[in-house]
Amino acid sequence: MATKPKVLLLGKIEHAHESWKSLSNLADLVSSQAQGRAEFLEECKAGRWDGVKAIYRTFDSMEITGRFDSELVPLLPGSVEFVCHNGAGYDQVDVNACSDRKIKVSHTPGTVNDCTADVNMFLILGALRGFNPGMLSIREGNWRGHPLPPLGHDPEGKTLGIVGMGGIGRNLKKKCDAFSMKIIYHNRKRLSEELAGGAAYVSFEELLRTSDVISLNLPLNKDTRHKISTREFEMMKKGVVIVNTARGAIIDEAALVKALDSDQVASVGLDVYEDEPKIHPGLMSNPRVILVPHMGTWTAETQCAMEECNISNVRSAVQDGVLLNLVPEQVDLEK
Amino acid sequence: MAKSNALLIGTLSHTRKEWQAISEIANLHEYPDGSREDFLSKCRNGDFDGVVALYRSNDSNKITGNFNDELLDALPKSLKFVCHNGAGYDNVDIAACTKRDISVSSTPVAVNAATADVALFLMLGALRNVTQCFQAARKGNWRGDFKLGHDPKNKILGILGMGGIGSAVATRAKAFGMKIQYHNRSQLPTKEEDGAKYVSFEELLKTSDVLSLNLSLNASTRHIIGKAQFDMMKDGVVVINTARGPLIDEAALVDALKSRKVWTAGLDVFEEEPKIHPGLLEDENVVILPHIGTATFETQRDMELLVLDNLKLSITEGRLITQVPEQKKAKAKV
Repeated sequence: MATKPKVLLLGKIEHAHESWKSLSNLADLVSSQAQGRAEFLEECKAGRWDGVKAIYRTFDSMEITGRFDSELVPLLPGSVEFVCHNGAGYDQVDVNACSDRKIKVSHTPGTVNDCTADVNMFLILGALRGFNPGMLSIREGNWRGHPLPPLGHDPEGKTLGIVGMGGIGRNLKKKCDAFSMKIIYHNRKRLSEELAGGAAYVSFEELLRTSDVISLNLPLNKDTRHKISTREFEMMKKGVVIVNTARGAIIDEAALVKALDSDQVASVGLDVYEDEPKIHPGLMSNPRVILVPHMGTWTAETQCAMEECNISNVRSAVQDGVLLNLVPEQVDLEK
Repeated sequence: MAKSNALLIGTLSHTRKEWQAISEIANLHEYPDGSREDFLSKCRNGDFDGVVALYRSNDSNKITGNFNDELLDALPKSLKFVCHNGAGYDNVDIAACTKRDISVSSTPVAVNAATADVALFLMLGALRNVTQCFQAARKGNWRGDFKLGHDPKNKILGILGMGGIGSAVATRAKAFGMKIQYHNRSQLPTKEEDGAKYVSFEELLKTSDVLSLNLSLNASTRHIIGKAQFDMMKDGVVVINTARGPLIDEAALVDALKSRKVWTAGLDVFEEEPKIHPGLLEDENVVILPHIGTATFETQRDMELLVLDNLKLSITEGRLITQVPEQKKAKAKV
């Protein structure tokens, strides 16, 4: 009788315990207790994970294994066919390195859209209205603060430029409509009118030049790293508001601090940072920056949905040999 | 014909030009700063005799104090119009004004979007339990003692007071997938409800996941939310107040937060601004703002313009654009 394949858990299951356990009908569930990358790599080399067909990894498991990069991926046992990443952004996984090994990668898009767009909206309102100084001064017992902070701006009639009109960007667009913002977007590909919901497609340069608020909603990869840097800040409207819930490294953080200091950028809302959990001191010390610590998907409902989605991908991989949410870069691998 | 006299109490930040232009139709007087004592004495001294219409605001209330019997008696007999900058006018005794044949206007509508935007910010912040990690991040502790929040999607939002602001809150909340129910002094016509369900006050309290206060403060609504009402609410309710602090018994709210009956709260207003109950200041389960509901360039200018427009019309035609509803009703009875 053929032995059951193994499924390796890197990280923790916090919510979908029942669904996780039910995988044991299909596979032996194993998890690594490695305390660091070196130990994990040793485990791999020693054959500890031989027989593992699918790996379920979490965003936080990077603290132990480090990135799934061109050093680690080749060391994964030959039996590994699937890496199921819990998260919509999968920049922690080097997809090319996986493709070289014929390892297919899935992620959890869709489940994160509402949650991330909600934090995105919170930050747009917080930055545009300039709530941060008041939020700090009131807790210090200084009511609105001395001197009074400047007035904020209403979202009504302002142009919001969405960079990256994927699931999250489109979700955000619908919510910003309710605040009567005018939405323009830039995307690798122009979307159909219907999908864009009436938002106008513009070039990246035009988005930079004409937006009052710029929201980053695109994935991080080698093409998008530091996509927003000195040159881009110089093209923006004076007094622009920037919001980032995507990945910190899309913005050149040092250039952002300079742009804030020169008042080119009036205010900023951030959920993500270049070097999490470190936040650039120039951002921390600036009251016009509203900062939250990468909490884009941190609700009970969404965390559960993400785990369920990732578990479903594992089940489909083990049972049927296909992933439900294959990463777009690997579409050709299916053939 | 002699020009009328108009008085500006307090200052204008965005519409000095428009105020100056009123000099075509009225002599302009100003009382930019001072004290209640000083203002009363100037009134009694006859400094403002002949003034027919005046501009006051929620901001200028800290100079003159409330427009009550004492102050209204001191104001010149010529005064016929009080043009108030603010959608809330609980610091003006309307009945006392009506008795003296003084008409009062406020600034509804102009405040709706800005106030609703604050309500949504507080609602999102409270649902996402943001304060703890917001403070931790700022102190360099990243997420601190982080706890998960909740999605607004499919939650029931109960709006107490479905006026202009309440409706604006409903429109926005719907975009986040919330289901809307409301209680109002009277049910709105169906086409104005936009799908919102009308419920009794008690049902609103018992069945809402999130409660947003969007009603005006008056003698009958003071402490409309107190211990008895918190006891009726769902366990883990989220409470949002952008209306007036005294609508909520603040001490009872602090107790309800401690017992976790109220899971989180978002507040822009407090019973005794700028004093805040220490139980709220220390609480990481509340998102608090220092009453900045309409603090934007655009809305502040719109509000000032509306007051000036009321002032001009009162002088040229003896009527107001946005007279307070209590006085319009009173007139209808005649």
